[in-house]
Amino acid sequence: MSSLRDLQRAFASALRDERDAGEAGAEAVRPVANLAVYRNNSDWQFRNALALSFPVLKRRVGDDFFRQLAAHYRKRFPSRSGDLHWVGRNFADFLAVHLAGGEYAWLADLARLEWAREVASVAELRSAVGVESLGQFVPEELEHLVFTLQPSLQMGASDYPVVSVWLANQAENASPVDQSAGAEQYMVLCRDEGLLVARLSPALFSFVSALAAGAPLGKAMAVAGFDEAGLLEALRFTFAEALVCGVQSEKR
Amino acid sequence: MTSLGNTSQAGTFTDPIPARAGIGLRSVHHQALLDQRPPIGWIEAHTENYFHDGGAAVRALERARSIYPLSLHGVGLGLGSVDGLDREHLARVKRAIDRFEPALVSEHACWGQSGGEFFNDLLPLPYTAEAVSLLSSHIAQAQDFLGRRLLIENVSAYVAFEHSTLHEWDFLAAVARESGCGLLLDVNNVYVSSRNLGIDARAFINGLPRESVGEIHLAGHARVTTPDHGEVLIDDHGSSVCDEVWELYRFAIARLGARPTLIEWDTHIPALATLVDEARRADAVLEDCHVIAA
Repeated sequence: MSSLRDLQRAFASALRDERDAGEAGAEAVRPVANLAVYRNNSDWQFRNALALSFPVLKRRVGDDFFRQLAAHYRKRFPSRSGDLHWVGRNFADFLAVHLAGGEYAWLADLARLEWAREVASVAELRSAVGVESLGQFVPEELEHLVFTLQPSLQMGASDYPVVSVWLANQAENASPVDQSAGAEQYMVLCRDEGLLVARLSPALFSFVSALAAGAPLGKAMAVAGFDEAGLLEALRFTFAEALVCGVQSEKR
Repeated sequence: MTSLGNTSQAGTFTDPIPARAGIGLRSVHHQALLDQRPPIGWIEAHTENYFHDGGAAVRALERARSIYPLSLHGVGLGLGSVDGLDREHLARVKRAIDRFEPALVSEHACWGQSGGEFFNDLLPLPYTAEAVSLLSSHIAQAQDFLGRRLLIENVSAYVAFEHSTLHEWDFLAAVARESGCGLLLDVNNVYVSSRNLGIDARAFINGLPRESVGEIHLAGHARVTTPDHGEVLIDDHGSSVCDEVWELYRFAIARLGARPTLIEWDTHIPALATLVDEARRADAVLEDCHVIAA
């Protein structure tokens, strides 16, 4: 009699590859054909989890191509957890390789944006502080201020207009987006009222990215190339979008 | 209006799950449930959907938890896997339990991983002494770690193992005895397995230790016809509870007495009102049981 370990190994092989079903079933299960139910369930669970994480990508490529992508991806990156939520974490990197050089190469960046939404959507939501929090510091300290930003904040940049594509495809049958529109930068943030996907100018993207990386305000301003007016505008945006949940001075 | 229960200072229910009908909480119903507060006895949530630090789902469950008694139902531990207990997953379950303080915690009599790959399905075990021993050991370890008694659910089956030496109900009874766990009787799963594999559904229910059954699940299933093997019932939780399962449920309640009963619906999910109607129907069966017992 086979051990439980042998049975589970044979069953698992039959789930991975239909051609192994005969071998597993011949000595272990009846009816062998019904192993297909488990194989289909497992395939569907994986594909459905991916579809929930990448709805716009699925809409753009259609059900059949998405099914093919999911099957290839699963072979390369099978589920490593009983929790399917994170199964799409490698999908963008996979697409970057799988679609490299082709007309759909930009889908990898669209997947990065959608994954950023997925990560942001389940992050802790902290209370934001207002611009008045700067009032506790003397002017000489301002350039040394370090901001704690919302844990949900995700930053991304692409050579393609992925934010425009994502925004346009919130409904079925969206018109194609002109790929020659060029690069876009964005941030994704979870707020009380839902997820925010915001297109940012290159300078603002550099500024917020620097703050998120822990750079003090003065350095973030220099990285973004802001003058005083530019800085004020950027700070107004940062506080208005409830991005900041803490401010400290490096000098204290 | 009658209060549904007592809330603690933290705003969460401290009462146990009542022997009434509840519904499985799904994200599409979060807002409707919080707005309408339908008269259901309790709610059950899939544990894995609430592992996260934040997000709309977590916030909705925190609010729902202040209105209804809660049960957490896991689908990802794969307690019967020979590769061992998934300690990382178990730690997340504990975190969810500490956060939401459910009155009941449940999982399945199944396995789910092999060689590091997870299949994210409720895979069947052969009903052997070896499987009883392994599953019981993992359940006991999980219970020790969680500091909670688990209810273990029978799964729908599409194949039977040649190696099985026990009836499924004897297998479950032995697991309950060895591990100290309770049982979650999924009546739809019994029906699906009975039709797919020729099992006697009433013998199944009669064979379970009455005192171990702490909860009942009801759901719909799909019927698929294959060219070679005729009709196969698929446990898809995508439709109303069928008449045959209602009949089996009445039989189960008559034998076991009133038990907390859950309406599950996971695919083709209808409006919340449909689930509430199904729960009302289950409540009527439970009420009949009370009347007869009185």
